[in-house]
Amino acid sequence: MIQLENITKVYQTKVIETTALDNINIEVPEGEFLSIMGPSGCGKSTLLNIMGMIDEPTTGQVKVAGKLVGNYHSKATARFRNEQLGFIFQSFHLINELSVIDNVELPLIYRKVSGKQRRQMAEAALTQVGLSNRMKHFPSQLSGGQKQRVAIARAIVGQPRIILADEPTGNLDSAMGNEIMDILMRLNQEQGTTIVMVTHDETMARKTHRLVRLFDGQQVS
Amino acid sequence: MIRHIFQLVWNKKRSNALLFLEIFFAFAILFLVLTWVTRNLRLFSTPLGFETENTWIVHLDFYDAEDTLAASATKVRLREELLALPQIEAASYGGDVSPFSGSTWSTNNDNNGFMIQTHLIFADEHYKDAARLKLVQGRWFDETDRDARYKPAVIIKKLFDESFEGRNLKDSVYTINGENKIVGVVDHYKYHGDFSPEYNVTFFYKPSSAIDMPNLHLLLAPGTPAAFEEEVNRIVADVTGMSDFTIEHLQKSRDLDARSVWVPMVSMLSICGFLVLNVALGLFGVLWYNISKRRAEVGLRRTLGASRTEVSLQFVGEIMIVSLLALLLGVIFAVQLPLMGVLEGEIEAYDYYVAMGVGAAFIIGLVLLCTFYPSQEAGRLQPAIVLHEE
Repeated sequence: MIQLENITKVYQTKVIETTALDNINIEVPEGEFLSIMGPSGCGKSTLLNIMGMIDEPTTGQVKVAGKLVGNYHSKATARFRNEQLGFIFQSFHLINELSVIDNVELPLIYRKVSGKQRRQMAEAALTQVGLSNRMKHFPSQLSGGQKQRVAIARAIVGQPRIILADEPTGNLDSAMGNEIMDILMRLNQEQGTTIVMVTHDETMARKTHRLVRLFDGQQVS
Repeated sequence: MIRHIFQLVWNKKRSNALLFLEIFFAFAILFLVLTWVTRNLRLFSTPLGFETENTWIVHLDFYDAEDTLAASATKVRLREELLALPQIEAASYGGDVSPFSGSTWSTNNDNNGFMIQTHLIFADEHYKDAARLKLVQGRWFDETDRDARYKPAVIIKKLFDESFEGRNLKDSVYTINGENKIVGVVDHYKYHGDFSPEYNVTFFYKPSSAIDMPNLHLLLAPGTPAAFEEEVNRIVADVTGMSDFTIEHLQKSRDLDARSVWVPMVSMLSICGFLVLNVALGLFGVLWYNISKRRAEVGLRRTLGASRTEVSLQFVGEIMIVSLLALLLGVIFAVQLPLMGVLEGEIEAYDYYVAMGVGAAFIIGLVLLCTFYPSQEAGRLQPAIVLHEE
């Protein structure tokens, strides 16, 4: 489902050159739940951004859902990202001025889905994460766990084949974290969604199919 | 997408209120100034109807003459002596109301069931040539009018069209200061200046010799130098024995009169220019601030599949919706002025509607101009970078 070949990412300023990723080769088969671990600054999020086609590798080749990624800024790439990928972030990234259901509808707006259908799909996604009674609420009225469940609903509303989660339990207590993890595992098991999750939490990582460890931009296991 | 933008605007109504008010008041001020400017330009585009270049008026006073017959003879002799000069092409006597003097003599009367209001001007048989009036129907006064059964009158086309349209000029008798017969129609006579509305004007005939026709209009040959005034001055003094007469250059009076409108008009437009500049800076600042506060949101939208163009259009759309709503409210207020006939007669509905259209188009153009660059910049933000800034 995702193939990374010889991926290198170098951040270059006038005075310093920093290698964030150094010759990474990862293949994530369809239906796998993969976790990526490593200390802060080892390149985990950079790797996830490259898989999500929102960042460009310095060298190497990225193939996502059969598409060899060329132009990272094209409309076609944006469209592909919209249809094939779902994103979950540590800090939720909900739009505070929009209600829960409007936040969930967001990816469908860019897919030009009709208003009525958008509402139905968003309601279904919110029901799936157990938030059908919070649709009209605003993010400021929700707990951290609820916010992350809204973010998950937003990630799955378009029924993507891949979900990329950047420390989804990082801002939550263990009970909330477990709830989120259960939802992700259910998605993976019941719908066969491929999930790549960056985490600091060894316990969460052990629940996934496979664990990749990074250290100083290099894959160590 | 449009519904989504409306939703965002509505949910952020508090922060949008200030921008809404700014656009509303900018439009209101722009509308008022543009109405005034449109009105002035519309009036300016109508011809004055008489010659001012190379035209002088000698202001004389025969009212105190003890021997009125001698005074009449003096007037006739003065005109003949001046006409004998090659520099003078035409000369005529007119009543006390002369162009740009600010004085008006107006009257109204019920003319067979129609209320006619008109300004009155007294002129002799030579005034058409001296002022180069353009006759569009009939004739100007002549010697035969002295003993006419009905007092002859020449009216301007506007008055004729309003009150006598479709009627034969020869049968048109109307009652203003007694019964008058219209003998001719001139196209325009805006004697209050270029920016004056075109009032109804009726010319009544009085012969050159009448002593209550004190203003001598002189049409000079093109290229006559200003020094010629000395010669005119000498002849007038010699023939009349007066020393308290004045010679007015009509073009200078016209320019002075026009300046009294041009100067405040340019000043108001300059003030409006500063206002518009302030609005532009405000808009630019608001949008720039919005984008810098919403970088993560831009990153999120790009990640979720929005193209650069869609992100840019969203920011333009948000500001545009607020602006259009403010303009809509402004237009609702503005349209009341022509509907209620505010300042009817001075300002026409056309002036209000043109000002509304130009004002709204200008504001929309300004909003587009000010939002273009910041929204383009928003579209260029890199999602991978901005999503990790929080």
